[in-house]
Amino acid sequence: MDINTKILKKNAFRITKERYKTAIRIRVPGGEMAAKYLDTVKYVAETFGNGTIHITTRQGFEIPGIDIEKMAEVNAIIQSLIDGLEVNQTDSNAGYSAAGTRNVAACIGSRVCQFANFDTSAFAQRIEKVIFPNDYHVKIALTGCPNDCIKARMNDFGIIGMNEPQYDSYRCIGCQACVKACEKKSAGALKFENFKVVRHSDKCIGCGECVLKCPTGAWTRSSNKLYQLVIMGRTGRKNPRIAQPFIKWIDEASVLEIIKNTYAYVHNYIDKDAPGGKEHVGYIVDRTGYQVFKNWVLKDVILNPKAQVAEYIYW
Amino acid sequence: MSNTYLPFKSRIIKIIPHTAIDYTFLMEYKGDVKPGQFFEVSIPKFGEAPISVSEIGEGYVGLTIRRVGLVTNTIHELQEGGVLFLRGPYGNGFNIDLFKSKEVIVAAGGTGLAPVKGVVDYFADNVHEVTVFSLIAGFKSPKDILYKADFEKWQRTINVIVTVDGSDDETYTGNTGLITNYIQDISIENQSMANVIVVGPPVMIRFTVAEFLKRGIREENIWVSYERKMCCGVGKCGHCKIDDTYICLEGPVFNYVKAKSFID
Amino acid sequence: MAYKVTGIRFNQYLKELEKEYLIFAPVALLGKGAFTNTDSVRYQKITKLEEVELTIKANFSAKEILLPITETLFYFNEDNWTEPKVHDKKILLFLRSCDIHGIKRLDDIYLRNGCEDPYYKVFRKKVRFCLIECYESFANCFCASMGTNITDEYDMFIRPEGDYVYVGINNKEMGRLDEKVVDLSPRFVMQNKTKVSIPKELSKGLAQSVFWEEYSSRCIGCGRCSFVCPTCSCFSMQDIFYKENKNMGERRRVWSSCMVDGFTDMAGGHSFRKKQGDRMRFRVMHKFHDYKKRFGYHMCVGCGRCDDACPEYISIAHCANRLKSIVEEK
Repeated sequence: MDINTKILKKNAFRITKERYKTAIRIRVPGGEMAAKYLDTVKYVAETFGNGTIHITTRQGFEIPGIDIEKMAEVNAIIQSLIDGLEVNQTDSNAGYSAAGTRNVAACIGSRVCQFANFDTSAFAQRIEKVIFPNDYHVKIALTGCPNDCIKARMNDFGIIGMNEPQYDSYRCIGCQACVKACEKKSAGALKFENFKVVRHSDKCIGCGECVLKCPTGAWTRSSNKLYQLVIMGRTGRKNPRIAQPFIKWIDEASVLEIIKNTYAYVHNYIDKDAPGGKEHVGYIVDRTGYQVFKNWVLKDVILNPKAQVAEYIYW
Repeated sequence: MSNTYLPFKSRIIKIIPHTAIDYTFLMEYKGDVKPGQFFEVSIPKFGEAPISVSEIGEGYVGLTIRRVGLVTNTIHELQEGGVLFLRGPYGNGFNIDLFKSKEVIVAAGGTGLAPVKGVVDYFADNVHEVTVFSLIAGFKSPKDILYKADFEKWQRTINVIVTVDGSDDETYTGNTGLITNYIQDISIENQSMANVIVVGPPVMIRFTVAEFLKRGIREENIWVSYERKMCCGVGKCGHCKIDDTYICLEGPVFNYVKAKSFID
Repeated sequence: MAYKVTGIRFNQYLKELEKEYLIFAPVALLGKGAFTNTDSVRYQKITKLEEVELTIKANFSAKEILLPITETLFYFNEDNWTEPKVHDKKILLFLRSCDIHGIKRLDDIYLRNGCEDPYYKVFRKKVRFCLIECYESFANCFCASMGTNITDEYDMFIRPEGDYVYVGINNKEMGRLDEKVVDLSPRFVMQNKTKVSIPKELSKGLAQSVFWEEYSSRCIGCGRCSFVCPTCSCFSMQDIFYKENKNMGERRRVWSSCMVDGFTDMAGGHSFRKKQGDRMRFRVMHKFHDYKKRFGYHMCVGCGRCDDACPEYISIAHCANRLKSIVEEK
């Protein structure tokens, strides 16, 4: 058998332990899809694979035990799924057009979770639209609140929902539920003065706990959805680390621009001699330094006024 | 329209310190007032506190105030000639007439003596109006004893027992032990007719009343006074309510027949 | 009797009323619910019918119009106490039958329990009711059980239907409309899915029962049940001084709740009903027993907002029914 493994891998298949067998990774942007697409996953697993499915850490499905020569057939069958999940594609019926940029993962978000400050899956899907298909190795995850259930801080880009709480002192009855919750469960940004609550915006991480705890609706959400963008966290062999805050209180449009610009940055700075031609974005930032990265990704980005960009980052 | 929440200004005529944290403020006041009633006492910008009347005199009332919070701490900073704001008096208070010609025993724990002190004052001065009048007062320790000068005066006309829970003061030669210990030994001339007033912290009231009941005092002859968080004093704010009773309106003085069924 | 007017004409009518009245009605505040992308329906000033949320129950009752959440009683400077100025307009309040009955309960506490409350009285005299009809019961409503589903204590009522609004006027003061008069009286909900029966005598023995213990572990003491309740009337006093000028300040009262820590705390450290179960007992007894002893009818009006709002899914309706079954077993 003659097979170009580079092309196979870029097509979201894998070279596996078992010779002549492959496994396909199904992208589920934002980790959310209509249940009916499970039928397709099941069909591929039972018809072409070994009847099992692995649920990946990035919220996709990996279907193992597929004959390499059945790749084209599998690609044709998953077309309905690719269409249904609105995943960008270069050629129809040819499966996934890239694999380097990983599935954009998201916690369950505000569709279900009380804590979430935004609809994580929907935003993930909008990011997917902007960056896929792209083969540069970039990992992105979105989480609804600073609890970070999706572990966004282990990604190159972590998008953490923030909510700038709005306070109506007239409605405040001074029960201090928010003050206590913020102290015990969050940033300790609230102080009780003169029977009303004072918020220290420099400490506030926008978790929304005050809004959730307020029994009278004195604290409410801002209609302006903002995020904390944390960058260059990673697992892996070389120097694993947690992502650090890049921009606080940033809006969605700016996040999308920055991620888009990142691909241009990677294109310019990637080590052409890297093994397999692959270099994760985080290692490139290590090489160029944060300032170069910052200048590239913020190029032509008009940040929303509330956005606070970190001057330096030390991972 | 008169505003029930609007206080009037009252000058501090005299400040009588009892302990490090308890002072009696004699305040200018002309008007009807009964022992056991209370005023809402305030310093603008600091707040209000319900304080029971501990003394009643011509043109003045005494308010015994303990430093226990922002308002009372601030009040303690004031000097004679200074001004407090009062509204009230609120509550029912003790009906002196009810005790006339009777045997009366007052048991008071700590600052609980304040609301009933007016009754003691009255009968100590008019001892012929009762058959017997006895006061048992308990304090935590010798340094917590209130109204020392009054006790000396009272002792001349009525039976007085003062006790402290415990003492590490070697110069203290008085009684020690809880009030309840003294009730067993107190002489009661006519158990079925004697009237008893019990005031103090909730636990003290419970055990003291139990002792008197054991001694054969009838429930309907026992009176208690309750301290609660009385914010408004006029039956609106809800803080002092126990069961269906607003302490500020129907109390703070209750006959034990009613009070015994209160569930906090 | 009601006038049949177009929606446009009705808004003109509101505009005329605005000269004399501040008009308050339930309004859906988009995104102002506790959770992301949820709304909150609260009482707000309105100028036209389209702003009014008539299709769902308001999350907060109308009581805050008469009993502001934070209300200044006095302003102080060095030596003077001044009462805040009150606007001279009357108030037209859009509300449902249960909330009208709720205000009757507030009247009892603020005007008939001891002396009259001067602040409440000022607002109360100004308020006129525009009845919002209920076509069907909302979740957790049990107004029919409490006898608050019907009222005739309204100054006007409205029934929007398509491009028209039927306007029933019960008080001359609300003016006249020139349009055709039709024979119409307000519709009321006659039964609810949730039915509550209150035991005739909630004995004190029951009040001490272990029954309440369960709530100690379930209730988190947030007070939502009180703050959404049209009949919860408690407040706390607060004195403050202004940061900018420490010589000036004000005395306020703010809503408070017997379910929340601190309600019974006295200076010096004593407090009562420390367990949530005891607080639940206190509140339930107030709504279904104590108040009735004073005023002859239950305090609870069965609007179900406490059940709507409880984050721990504690239902007062369920609680009352359980009490009933315990009493009957005895």
